[in-house]
Amino acid sequence: MIGRAPRWPTIVLGIFGFIWIIPIIGIVMTSIRPLAETSRGWWRIDSFTLTLSAWQRVWEAYPLAPAFVTTAILAALATVGTMLLTPAAAYAFHFLKFPFRRLLLIIIINAFVLPQQVVIIPLFQLWRELGLIDNFLAVLIPYIGLSFAWSIFLVKNFLEDFPTEVVEASRIDGAGPLQTFWYIVLPNSLSSVFATGILQFLWTWNALLLPLLYLRTNVPLPVILARVNGTYELNWDLQSVAAIVTTVVPLVVFLIFQRQFAAGAETRTGAKD
Amino acid sequence: MQETVASRTVDARPGSPARSGGEQSNRLATRLRMGDWPAAWLLITPVLILFGIAVVFPLIDTIRLSFFDIKGLAKPKFIGVGNYVKLFTDPAFRNTLLTTLTFTISTTIISVGLGWMLAMVSAFAPRQTLPFRVMIFAAFGISEAVAGYMWIGILRPDAGGLLNAVIGLVQPGFAQPWLGDPRTALWVLIIAASWGGVGLPLMLCFASVQSIPKTLFEAAYIDGANHWQVMRNIMMPLSLPGVRVAVFINLLGALRAFDIIYILTGGGPVRSTETVGYFMYRESMTQFKLGYGAAATVVLLVAVLVVSIPAIIQRTAGAR
Repeated sequence: MIGRAPRWPTIVLGIFGFIWIIPIIGIVMTSIRPLAETSRGWWRIDSFTLTLSAWQRVWEAYPLAPAFVTTAILAALATVGTMLLTPAAAYAFHFLKFPFRRLLLIIIINAFVLPQQVVIIPLFQLWRELGLIDNFLAVLIPYIGLSFAWSIFLVKNFLEDFPTEVVEASRIDGAGPLQTFWYIVLPNSLSSVFATGILQFLWTWNALLLPLLYLRTNVPLPVILARVNGTYELNWDLQSVAAIVTTVVPLVVFLIFQRQFAAGAETRTGAKD
Repeated sequence: MQETVASRTVDARPGSPARSGGEQSNRLATRLRMGDWPAAWLLITPVLILFGIAVVFPLIDTIRLSFFDIKGLAKPKFIGVGNYVKLFTDPAFRNTLLTTLTFTISTTIISVGLGWMLAMVSAFAPRQTLPFRVMIFAAFGISEAVAGYMWIGILRPDAGGLLNAVIGLVQPGFAQPWLGDPRTALWVLIIAASWGGVGLPLMLCFASVQSIPKTLFEAAYIDGANHWQVMRNIMMPLSLPGVRVAVFINLLGALRAFDIIYILTGGGPVRSTETVGYFMYRESMTQFKLGYGAAATVVLLVAVLVVSIPAIIQRTAGAR
């Protein structure tokens, strides 16, 4: 701002920042100290023992490793699906003329307000009829289908600033609409496509409600965390490891791409569900 | 860098330079659109199919099912508005409405209020406060399920619970079962949900404050204004666009909340933390009253639409 920055904002923000990461420090400490020590308080340092025992035992106690693989597969497929289909549709909506274009666009971009709860009952009945309960498609279809409500808006917004002269030149040179998309527009809008991919990855990695209802045997990490949390065992150390394993990948991705995230979350809206 | 990206989005609304540029390019684009429609349909058909299955069909079907009495696998029976009549005479549901209102408004006030305040404070020393902003924003990057688990650890009633231990410093032997007591469960749930919610308003409002022209601050300081006056008369009114967006995002997020309630309280004790979004899950997926759950979902949908009217109008007008 003006002249030298005052000291008090740093102190205020420092206090809040520290308070804000206490819950994170809490589970890390609980995961690397013996249960006997942390049950008297993980912040106590009168006797401090470092142990990786919980980190070794947890893989036997809970099916964390297969859940990690399941989560990664689901998040990867849903992310790739959204990243492939979104730019194609956004391009068509922005540069091509076809019947019902504006009506379809309005319906799709306003669907972002719908809560996930709306899909639960109809899709539960549909998947039961089709025998898709416990099939990855039961969550992948809503993951990808729901994403269009925000992803098409995000990419189309990016295309509003795309230089039309380039598209025009390509068409005059004889390129068809598909060639123009593939060779001209897509390679030059990759930043918005990747931003979409990051948001979709975080959302699907963290998803709890849909896999909780539609998957049974191979479930992702948040569902495992919910299960071990509901058992009322006092395995705070093992559960803390499970919580860290569940959140470490999306948290790192989030911190690396936080700039794009702050911008993108606005179009995604309520990005945490 | 961070500031530029975020403020650009905040600015991207009708009337701003970014939009009028888009308008112009759109007019030019119209000339290219002749005879494109087979290619267009090829590109959007997969999207329409998936969107139809995942959004349009469930939306229509939820409304349809809300008029039926469905018990398990028996044949659904049409009962008109019966489910709605039952909902609004059900004391549990009326309590749920009150809980939803309390949860939604409180988390929004705490998250946006605190985020806005911290954004203005940190704008006085943007560079020095950056690491702390990231620390607060990091909580937003943690999924609700994991956040709920972390808060169980803070709130546990035994010696390992941090909250009781801190209060125990001034009041020895304090042991409140925060999550087990219907009088406190909703409020600790609100605090836990707000913990993750502060980061986004902080970032949006900070970007909003950063986009205020520096000359305004210079003029104010030259005229002898102090920090408080600058905050009160320049930052607060001029960062309102960011605040408005943050309020909307938080209201929507709180109305659809599920994960953190499921992990932290499971709607209990004695249904004291059930919001409408959780009520519909409980009735339809654990009690298998699908029609009743669908009616509750429609009520949730109406609440969401009421909150979203300005956003929907803005998006519809901006869709070209």
